[in-house]
Amino acid sequence: MTFASQINRKSGRECQIRFVSKRAPMIRLLMSIFVLGVLLSGTAARACDISRPIVFAGLDWDSVGFHNAVARRILETGYDCMTDVIPGSTIPLLQGVARGDIDVAMEVWKDAAAEVWLRALAKNQVVEVGINFPDALQGWYVPRYVVEAHPDLKSVADLVKYKALFKDAEEPAKGRFYNCVAGWECEVVNTNKLRAYKLEPHFTNFRPGTGVALAAAIGGAYLKREPILAYYWGPTWVLGAYDLVKLQEPTWNDTDWKGISTNADYPRAVDYPAVTVWIGANAKFVKAAPTVTTFLSNYRTSAALVNEALANMRETNTNDNAAALRFLKTQPQLWTTWVPADVAAKVQAALK
Amino acid sequence: MFPDSFTISIAPSINAFIDALITNYGDGFRSVGDAVLWFIVGVEQILRGLPWWLVIVIAASIAFMASRRALFASLTALALFAVGVLGLWDQAMQTLALMLVATTFSAAIGVPFGMALARSGRVSILARPILDAMQTLPSFVYLVPAMMLFGLGKVPALLATVIYAMPPVARLTELGLRTADPDAVEAALAFGASPRQKLWHVELPLALPSIMAGINQATMLALSMVVVASMIGARGLGEEVLVGIQRLDVGRSVVAGLTIVILAVVLDRITQAATKARAK
Repeated sequence: MTFASQINRKSGRECQIRFVSKRAPMIRLLMSIFVLGVLLSGTAARACDISRPIVFAGLDWDSVGFHNAVARRILETGYDCMTDVIPGSTIPLLQGVARGDIDVAMEVWKDAAAEVWLRALAKNQVVEVGINFPDALQGWYVPRYVVEAHPDLKSVADLVKYKALFKDAEEPAKGRFYNCVAGWECEVVNTNKLRAYKLEPHFTNFRPGTGVALAAAIGGAYLKREPILAYYWGPTWVLGAYDLVKLQEPTWNDTDWKGISTNADYPRAVDYPAVTVWIGANAKFVKAAPTVTTFLSNYRTSAALVNEALANMRETNTNDNAAALRFLKTQPQLWTTWVPADVAAKVQAALK
Repeated sequence: MFPDSFTISIAPSINAFIDALITNYGDGFRSVGDAVLWFIVGVEQILRGLPWWLVIVIAASIAFMASRRALFASLTALALFAVGVLGLWDQAMQTLALMLVATTFSAAIGVPFGMALARSGRVSILARPILDAMQTLPSFVYLVPAMMLFGLGKVPALLATVIYAMPPVARLTELGLRTADPDAVEAALAFGASPRQKLWHVELPLALPSIMAGINQATMLALSMVVVASMIGARGLGEEVLVGIQRLDVGRSVVAGLTIVILAVVLDRITQAATKARAK
């Protein structure tokens, strides 16, 4: 029976009655199956701290997807917890962690979301339960084949000599420096650095509008073996998949760094610090779920590990879950130290 | 659930194809891109090089020639003056340059394309889904490979804009030619007009209002693409909007957004006035 044809021939009301009366038994059947399913799943033994799903922040960059998948798998198979992910971008999701709509954020970059996060920390709404990885790098990168062809290119101070190499087709007299995404904090930092390194007259400060565009520019140049000079950060699949060399910059110091990253016009020659990326959680959740929190505070990876996992994921065209599975299968010596032996055994058993 | 055994994974072969295209034909694409770039940069340099008052005078005289109304011309001048007052003159000129070039390309490709569509029903049936795809395919789907081929900047921005803005020109050109007054066409044939004479002297002039409406639509769609264009590295008003959004600086993005609206209204009214003047 098609709904539309009924409307054509009969009055709308009559048609509606017929529609409901014919469909009702089936809807009732489906509903009882659904209720049965819920009851059955509810009767399974749960050792998890909390009975509702633990909600992860699905931040919109690729390494988060990997960490979420690893943590969720361990929680689901080892701790019998239910988990869920809410996708979104940094500011709203971290606000969600503060409010309690979201329980866990696997990557908190304190520099990038300073205000929201620090405010929530000060109000004791959130807790930094552990360090995910302590060695996130960012910097100005060139492909290794460029360095091999031009061994003198080692630091940002050498760039003036090589501006013709990185020629900007839109302004042929200058080289092109691919800055960070327009509007991000790193864009302000790089613009300051461009001035401090006296490169502003020689290089265009080229700002891509999105992260995708920057990655595509690097990927395209790499495939064509063309020279490219770009800011990038890790851990990302880009740093894992393409062999890029970070140019040396003058050593890092706290005062210059603070100034350069908060003021729009503050040219100082100073390197990026190695960034510590935290695992953050809602304070109420931490109280309610002590065993899960212990696991999260033991969770520890490294930038190199994540780079490799992300690049492999891209090469083999698989998703976060497959990458998590591969990690759990190949590196038990690492993750079994995060959890008690019985939990590790349960996770291991579920892998087979 | 759809059975797994029926699914085919075409994504890896598409990836391999794109990689091969970039590796083997990257240079060829680059030289095409450079030629297009030369054109865009030229237009941009002219617009940014002219003194602001001269740009306003030129725009106002075009508005006057299109409409023959002094009030309309002075309103045009006032709107452009407002762009300068809002502090976004330079960005507006960059956007205007990209947009004018995009509209020119859209018309140059769209009108002949529409003529081909009007000529053959079969071509029209085959081309319609392609035109649909051009208007609905999420732009980043084809922009990522375009960025890898051409590099970031004005060239992929132009490509995205033309792909989005060209279809209405083609469609309205086809419509105009197909609905050209059959009596007039028959009269032309009766007087022994050749197919070429029939097209150039009867059908195209009759279809002109429709073609102009298509070009008007193209300018509007081109302006609606400026933010996407900035996502891939084209400077201008779109970049202001984007930076405003990414820094939660609502004021900044609203000012840039309003400037885009001003440009849109001015260009819309000028092309519409030109259409009406021709129709009379």
